[in-house]
Amino acid sequence: MIYGDKYTKLIVQNITGKQGEFHSGLMNAYAQQIGGRGVVAGATPGKGGQQVHGVPVYNTVKEAVRVHDATASVIFVPGAAAGDAIMEAADAGIELVVAITEHIPVHDTMKAIAYARNEGCSVIGPNCPGLLSPGEVKMGIMPAQLFLRGNVGVISRSGTLTYEVVDELTRAGIGQSTVVGIGGDPVIGQTFTDVLERFKNDSQTKVVVLIGEVGGNLEEEGAKSSDLPIVAYIAGTSAPPDKRMGHAGAIAEGGEGDARSKIARLMKLGVPVASRPSEIPEMVKGLFRSC
Amino acid sequence: MKLREYEAKNVLRDAGIPVPAGFLIKQADDVTVHLDALGDAIVLKAQVDAGGRGKAGGILMADKNTAVATARELFGKQVRGLPVREVLAEQKLDILHEYYLSVTIDRAAKAPLILFSDVGGVEIEKTAKERPDAIRRAVAMPLMRDLPPFMLRELSGKAPKEVGPIINRLYRVFCEKDALLAEINPLVVTPQGVFAADAKIIVDDNALARQGIRVNRDLSEREREAEKHGFSYVELNGSIGVIGNGAGLTMATLDLIGYYGGNAANFLDVGGGAESERVMNAVRLVASVPSVKVIVVNLLGGITRCDEVARGIIAAGISQKVIVRLAGTNEAEGRKLLFEKGYEMLDTMDLVVKKAVEVAA
Repeated sequence: MIYGDKYTKLIVQNITGKQGEFHSGLMNAYAQQIGGRGVVAGATPGKGGQQVHGVPVYNTVKEAVRVHDATASVIFVPGAAAGDAIMEAADAGIELVVAITEHIPVHDTMKAIAYARNEGCSVIGPNCPGLLSPGEVKMGIMPAQLFLRGNVGVISRSGTLTYEVVDELTRAGIGQSTVVGIGGDPVIGQTFTDVLERFKNDSQTKVVVLIGEVGGNLEEEGAKSSDLPIVAYIAGTSAPPDKRMGHAGAIAEGGEGDARSKIARLMKLGVPVASRPSEIPEMVKGLFRSC
Repeated sequence: MKLREYEAKNVLRDAGIPVPAGFLIKQADDVTVHLDALGDAIVLKAQVDAGGRGKAGGILMADKNTAVATARELFGKQVRGLPVREVLAEQKLDILHEYYLSVTIDRAAKAPLILFSDVGGVEIEKTAKERPDAIRRAVAMPLMRDLPPFMLRELSGKAPKEVGPIINRLYRVFCEKDALLAEINPLVVTPQGVFAADAKIIVDDNALARQGIRVNRDLSEREREAEKHGFSYVELNGSIGVIGNGAGLTMATLDLIGYYGGNAANFLDVGGGAESERVMNAVRLVASVPSVKVIVVNLLGGITRCDEVARGIIAAGISQKVIVRLAGTNEAEGRKLLFEKGYEMLDTMDLVVKKAVEVAA
């Protein structure tokens, strides 16, 4: 596993909101099922003293960290205030922030990530489903029932497409070590390169599935940086130029970042690229045979 | 959302960046009152929300005597298929040299990227390929309000001394206006000083509210309608309508349509929580596109309730065929509801897409 394990204590920022409350319940149900720590506290300004699913709520992240010794925070704070929430977590000594929030203004994200970096805090997301290490920890909103513990690491810019691929892998009997949704925004904290670096130092992970999409070139940068066996899939070959495909970051602009040239560059690096999600399990099996 | 040229130039002027004397006119005769301020040589620029204006005849030259007639000609035109409703009448600059200046976002550095080139006025992508040495770049520290002076010196090189402060002012505009791109191309040297001859600002769609922008003009009417429902929607030109949840899965569905030889009519991501009413609205919206012959619904999610989705599809009551792939909770009930009404529900995305391509052919 990477980023956390059974013993990782989580807090949830805006645990009192609809999404925060709902997913805190699911995170703790998963923790209970596998014997992990899960969400130990919540933080919402002005809601200190309440309880959500029996979890105490504090006004500040600092208080929650001081009382419960948590090291990771999952953020469900709405877009306009989410950048601030990331900085509050970093300032309170949180080591890992998972920012689920969509629609954070990108200037807020740039500032928050720069601030967090200064505090030695890693940020996953924003606009992401979080991460799940089967049998260890779930931080975020991934549907746990689709997962199976194993040796394949998955890194993806997407949410449901990740579930699709995980579902295909599990049905084919291929388990996962850690599945990380790094987020669909143009600026994100942990990139393919960062997660691949963690997988390199993780003895459980033998093969990596990299799920990218139109926009930017961080998939190629990641693949270039790692010598782990990788299978890639890139969504958006049918996306017209200069159109944003749902994700704020899913756009080919100024003649750069289109899916086809991305695929061509990955293949040039020797990375096999699936043309359909359903091809991924067989390609992963192929890599296992050869490694 | 992309600002129009005159809006972008107003922003620059307010930030202390010199722009040519210019006036927005809404009908040809309005130009007459500005003739004294504009001088002898005048440029008339159509303010339409489309790129490549110049090549499409949207920029015309005139003088004092021909200004009204030329403006009339421009107002009578369609530029890139768009009617001309606003024209920016500007003083024509006496250009000695053209530079390129922009601030954008570097995804890898997670920070603003400033580009400055001694070769302006042309397509910067071309310059980047042919003369990469002609472009200087610097990455800003997002937590700093201003660029450090050394960075301004390195960027501007041998350019006139006014250029350094202009770079910093554009950087401030970029930050304060929540821009994804702030570009001056060309930044020109004239006997009267340095001016932004053209300007392009794209505002982050996620920051429109705090920038006081209420309507996103980059969206078509149907895209705006979709936005009201909380959908992400992009119009394409095929005959297979697509509804998915999550941007990645929906994109992958479109790609699969291409893989099997079909053409998608749209991208529609219903977003989280596919309740029956949302699904109904999505199906109706896609079905309202005249070219749509068949609709693929591809919804996957641990918590998506398939019976809810099925009710939404049935409630939409549209005439086109709907082919459904659902994975989530209450799958059996959803399948039964759809089956009773004669809808087809298949198990994988490959199967639904293949079927839709057959139907559309």
